[in-house]
Amino acid sequence: MAFQIEITTPEKLVASKQADYAEIPGKDGYLGILTGHAAMLSELGQGELKVTTGGKTESFTIAGGYLEVRDNQVRVLADSVS
Amino acid sequence: MPSLIDIRRRVRSVKNTQQITKAMKMVSAAKLRRAQDRALAARPYATMLKQMLANVAEAASQNEDGSGHPLLAVRPEKRILVVLITADSGLAGGFNANIIKVAQKFADQHRDAELTFELIGKKGINYFRKREVKITGAHTDKLRNVKFEDAEAIAQSVITRFENDEVDAVYLISNEFKTVMAPTLAQTRVLPIEVPKSSGSVDYIYEQKPEELLGSLLPRYVKLLMYRAFLESVAAEHGARMAAMDAATSNASDVIDNLTLIMNRVRQASITREIIEIVSGAAALD
Repeated sequence: MAFQIEITTPEKLVASKQADYAEIPGKDGYLGILTGHAAMLSELGQGELKVTTGGKTESFTIAGGYLEVRDNQVRVLADSVS
Repeated sequence: MPSLIDIRRRVRSVKNTQQITKAMKMVSAAKLRRAQDRALAARPYATMLKQMLANVAEAASQNEDGSGHPLLAVRPEKRILVVLITADSGLAGGFNANIIKVAQKFADQHRDAELTFELIGKKGINYFRKREVKITGAHTDKLRNVKFEDAEAIAQSVITRFENDEVDAVYLISNEFKTVMAPTLAQTRVLPIEVPKSSGSVDYIYEQKPEELLGSLLPRYVKLLMYRAFLESVAAEHGARMAAMDAATSNASDVIDNLTLIMNRVRQASITREIIEIVSGAAALD
């Protein structure tokens, strides 16, 4: 079982993929998200966002923004991604 | 009757113009495609942010102090800030003229309010600089390559002024891209923010308090609206220019056709005249 994660900036959709685990830099510390996570809203801080799919980990450096988790959909609205 | 050489010269000149308009049309078509792609790429973020704002606003409004955010404060509209987006260059049919007309009409309707203008794009600046209006900001060269930071900076200055109670409302007047042929003229109130309606509330876990989240989402939303308006306006500009240049090219074809017809007639007339002269000359010799 995996969940869908979408990473967007105001300018474009950076990534949209299936993931098993995501580590997201929240404003008040890192958040680990697995499949079936409860609906959640949070502000994002600065740091490394890691997405693990089938043992492979991809990472993005993000700064600021918002996070929404809902029905196995993780939406990352970052201010900037590099 | 104009001489043959004059007509030929005119045909050549019209052909040159036609080549220019044709090239401009091609360039605009390419730029339009790029602008459309960018507008499309910005859409997922916009939809998600809007949804999120709706949800958070609803959650925050259930608490007592949730609806008191300064960016939601509705005041009597005595001092209005108008943000007008035009293009930096012309030759786009009625693109600039139409939107300026809307802005002027808006100004006429709100004669008793104190109006200030924030102008984006050279054409609007040129128009309003000659008139007696208060201009607080004039931005050029932001539209060739639209960046979120540019829109953000302008939106931030607008937000600050609204928060400091310098203006009571902010309106955004700009072209929206609907179809290539006819851009839609849009006049929207940006501040105070009208919170989008949420479609069914979800019971979220809030990492931060809803009010706190709302406080940071609202300015973000204004910035996004500004950025969206930039993108839409640019796409509409290229669409309008493409349509205008297409019309100009086909008009040039018509002119060339007419001139060619006249030219042939003149040539034929002169040939006929020469034959008559020769024949009658020969007849006189007999």
